[in-house]
This record gives sequence, C-alpha cells and structure tokens, in this order.
Amino acid sequence: MSALSRPLARLLEKPWLWAFVGAALVWLATIPFTPGRGAGDVLTAAFTFATFFVIVGIGQMFVITLGPGNVDLSIPATITLAGSVATKLMDGQDALIALGFVAAMGCGLAVGVFNYALIRALRIPPIIATLSSSFIIQSTAIAYGRGLRIKPPPALAEFTTARVLGMPVLAICVIVLAALMSVVLHRTIYGRSVIAIGQNQRAARLAGIAVDRTRLATYVMSALFASLCGYLLSAFSGGASLNMGEEYLLASIAVVVIGGTSVAGGFANLPGLWGAALFLFLIVTMLNTYGLGAGIRYVLTGLIIIAVITAAGGRKPLR
Amino acid sequence: MKRTLQGASLAVLALALAGGTAIADTSGKRIALSNNYAGNSWRQAMLRSWDKVTSQAVADGVVAAADAFTTAENQVTEQAAMIQNLVLQGYDAIVLNAASADALNGAVREACDAGVVVVSFDGTVTEPCAWRVTYDYHSMGTAQIDFLAEHMPQGGKLLEIRGLAGVIVDDDISRGIHDGVAANPQFEIVGTVHGDWDQAVAQRAVAGILPSLPAIDAVVTQGGDGYGAAQAFAAAERPTPLIIMGNRQDELVWWKEQKDKNGYTTMSISSAPGVGTLAFWVAQQILDGQDVPKDIIVPLLSISQDELESFLETTEPGGVANVEYTLEDTQGVIAKAAP
Repeated sequence: MSALSRPLARLLEKPWLWAFVGAALVWLATIPFTPGRGAGDVLTAAFTFATFFVIVGIGQMFVITLGPGNVDLSIPATITLAGSVATKLMDGQDALIALGFVAAMGCGLAVGVFNYALIRALRIPPIIATLSSSFIIQSTAIAYGRGLRIKPPPALAEFTTARVLGMPVLAICVIVLAALMSVVLHRTIYGRSVIAIGQNQRAARLAGIAVDRTRLATYVMSALFASLCGYLLSAFSGGASLNMGEEYLLASIAVVVIGGTSVAGGFANLPGLWGAALFLFLIVTMLNTYGLGAGIRYVLTGLIIIAVITAAGGRKPLR
Repeated sequence: MKRTLQGASLAVLALALAGGTAIADTSGKRIALSNNYAGNSWRQAMLRSWDKVTSQAVADGVVAAADAFTTAENQVTEQAAMIQNLVLQGYDAIVLNAASADALNGAVREACDAGVVVVSFDGTVTEPCAWRVTYDYHSMGTAQIDFLAEHMPQGGKLLEIRGLAGVIVDDDISRGIHDGVAANPQFEIVGTVHGDWDQAVAQRAVAGILPSLPAIDAVVTQGGDGYGAAQAFAAAERPTPLIIMGNRQDELVWWKEQKDKNGYTTMSISSAPGVGTLAFWVAQQILDGQDVPKDIIVPLLSISQDELESFLETTEPGGVANVEYTLEDTQGVIAKAAP
C-alpha cells in the first residue's frame, strides 16, 4: 500500500463516513432546484435544526454504548419538562436566563438519578424503566405547564437564532461540544469505561471498573443533554409546548445508529451524529423540494436510510 | 319560538320545551369520555371544557356521571380495551375521540350490541352504529382560498402546510384548499410541506423548503402551524407573507403584534376543542330518547380581523381559542343536521 493511499484507506474505514456521504449526496441532489443563494440557505437551515438532534443524540449515544438493552426513552418527556420549567421560571426576562438554565439542568439531574434508581434499585430493564418514568415526567410537565407557552427571554432567543457568516452560532457551539465529548469518550477513564462496559459488562466489572457509577453518570448525562435541548429548543421556537419533545425519541436513536455507532454497544463515535442529523434533515428537505406526495416521501426516506446503514455496515468486517 | 334560558339548572326544562316530547329522565344515566391523547394544548383545552361543562351538568342532576378517561400511549389496542371496560362498568353512553377511524370498529360494535350509545367526535369512527360529530374540514380549506381571493384579488403564489400524513382530516382540508385554488386560478400552490399540526415541525419543514421557492404571497395552513411558519420566514430573512392562522394563543398573539405594528391582515380558522362538550350533549339527547341524525356537522371557529382582540381576551396564555356548547346550542346544531 502506497504512502498516499493509506490515509484514504483509513478514512474509508471510518463508520461515520457514510452518514456524511449520504448527507452530501442528498444536498447535491437538492441544489438544482434551489435557485441563487438557495444551496447555502439549505445548509444553514440544515445546521440549525440538526443541532437539536445532535444534542440529544450525544446523550443517547453514550447510553446505547453501555451495551444491549440500554436505551433512554425518557428523552422526549425530559425535553418537555425542562423546556416548560425553564420558560415559566424565566418569564421572558433576560435577567433570569441563568436561573432558567440551572432549573433545566436540575430537571435533568433529577430525571437521570430517578431513571437509574429504577434500573439499579428496582432492577427494572432500562427500556421499561425509562418508558415508565417518561409517563411520570410528561404528566408532571402537563400538570406544571398545562401547555403554557410563555415567550422566552429575548436575549436567549436571539442567541439561539444568531448566525455568523450564515452558520448558526448554536451549531458552532454544539460542534465544539461534540468535539469535547469525543475526547471524553476516547481519552478519559469515564469514556473508556463506557466502551468497556458495552463490550462486556462482566469483564469490565472483574477488571475493576466502577460499573454502577459509570452507568449512573451516563443516564444522568443523557437526561442533562435532553434538558439542554429542551431549554434551547423552547428559546429557539418561541416557547415550550407539551409535544415539543415528541419527535426526538426516534430521532435520537436514528442519529446514533445512522452515525455508525453500534446498537449492540461498546463501539461509538461522535462525528457520525452530525453526519446523520444533517442527513435526516436534508432528506426531508430534498423530498419536499421535489414536491412528492407524503406516501412516496416516507417510502423513499426509509429506502435511503437503509442504503446508508447498509453501506456503513458493509465496511465493518474490515475492522 | 326560541327561548333563552339562563342557568343550566333549567336545562331539563328547556329540553322539554324545545323537544316537545315526553322527558325520558337522564338524571340516572352515566356518560364516559374515552380519549386517546392528551399531549397538546388542543387536547388539554378539550379536557378542561369537558370537565367544566359536564361537572355543571352532573351538579344540576342532568346526568349522574360524566367521567373522562385518556389512554396513556395513544394506541388502538389500549383504547379498545378501555371501551370494553367502560361497557363492563355499566356506562350508558361513551363519547369517543378515537385513535383510529376503523380499527376500533369492533370494540364500538360490541358496545352498541351491549346497548351503549357511542358518540364519536374529532377522531370519529366509521362503524355505522356510532354517531359522528364532525367539522366540515373541506370547507376549512375552501374558506381560506375564499378569504385570499377577497384580500388578494390579483392572486399569488401559495405555500401549503399540511397536517399529519395519513389522517383523514389532513386529506379533507387539503382537498378543500386545492378545490378552492382550482376555482380561483389566479392562485398557484408552489410548495407543500407537512407540519404535523405542530409549530416546531412546521418551522423546520418550512425552513427547509423556503430556499427552493420563489417569493411567497400567502401561506395556507391547517391550524397550529402558523406561528412556526412565521418564524421560519423571519429566520430566512424573507418578507412575511399573509399566513392563515389557527386558534392557538401564540398564533393569535403574533397576529395581534403584527396588526398593531403594520396593520397586518389575516384570518383564523380552526376546530374549537369545545366540540367535546357538544358531543356530550348529543349523547345526553340520545339517552333522552331524542331522534338524532348519525352525522352532525359542527360549524368551524373563524376569527376575523375585528374579532381578534375579543378572542384574545378570553384565551388564556398557552391555550386555544375555544367555544363551549350548551344544551340549547346543541339542539340547534342537531336541528340543522336533521334531514
């Protein structure tokens, strides 16, 4: 193998590559139908909305990496609760932005600890534990807010919609956040522990890894990211609503899987989240732009996702 | 001949006067609400309206009970089981907002066979033994184009925001819009997205398709998505077109802000969540022995530029503009539905 082609070969082995390839192809296929500055505008919109998928995707990815059976289904309810609590507390006042953030994070901390208490103390499988806690959380949000839609503080709303050279500021922040979490995953004891537990929990325990503490931290982190998403989303879309988190359940799992993280756990990557989130937004945009009917759109979305996952999966045996 | 009687305590008397037939006493009857979903502001308003109107009816002794039940997961199987339980618990009538138009027909049939009156509304069922209280959603589409034809006689390019794909209501409204455009060829629909009746989804879908569209003159909607569309236009730094609004408070507030700023003119058309209370009275009337047609069409709630302020006053923050029905209103609607 020549010296030049080795980096290329290594790049081709990256599991996250295919989500980006898919996103780029879909974007190129959309451009001919978007006159003038359209191509750039599509990308701006894609980064704007992919940001929220990535935020919840990071938490979900760490949970899924813990191994088979680990998944957080309480993300949508947590988004709704954190968004409702934060907007109600801030009451549209710039001075209370920090308080709203702390309150949202407090919600996340409580949800995460509660989830893991169900899983560990009551020995309920995570999928059931987080599903049942999501009912409790959602009901709390309904009782607390009753669908209350209070305007977010103007400064916070401005921050979530601000742009630099067409690039959303929030997206830049979340790219940095993803890079940081990538370091956490691959370079810290905590991150390595998550991967080790995902590969073999028993072996990890015997090797002296603090399995319980790591799992607790991971579920808390997932709830914290969901709360962050709820906080930012309610500011971005002009207030919290009861169903604001609804679509983030499947989306959070989809960006993890399409991004090349193993559903079976023990193997994860951060860049794929961005590729997958952009990809998911751009597919809908492309099919909307083509003006296809809803039925055909859903079929094509399914087929394209299968194609990308197959392409990414086809590389796995090389590792 | 129309009498106006204040106070629901006289409802039974009013019934005798308006109906003209002997009173089959409903004071011992129990009515249940089987609801499939509670997770948005429309459903919350529907449940509150139900609670307000029916608890008064129970206090006045019109019916013995009017309990509301909601499924946790919006699942057909769950709601079918709920209907069977309600029959076993001996309710005389079930008012139903169904998770599916046809998948619950078996359970509804069983309820009918057990002698239980089933009145479906909003999410109606196709089972012939059940009553259906529905909005004329087709006219919700045509009314929007009629309004545009009046305010934009020169015509223009339209963006259509649809609801949830696969739901019959979405098809009906969209057909109304397209029929309206066919009758007014000065309008052209240049783009269509699905907003799922949700601000956030509508905002994302519109933001995605905008770069591919020419200048948009007006946005036709299905309610619940107008504010999200407005935000998407603002984010793309495009001039705000005429956006037809729904009945959510945030949509009305946005409309009011624009109206005060630059005289922005639009309309709101929507289904009021108080329709549940009308379904309640329909069930009560059937139990009372009245002859009620199986299909009852309810007028849509339309708000004009001049009515905006008065509706805003009565709509709480985070709620939806609403109309609750009295027994007399219901009798009027039933009389119109009779052939």
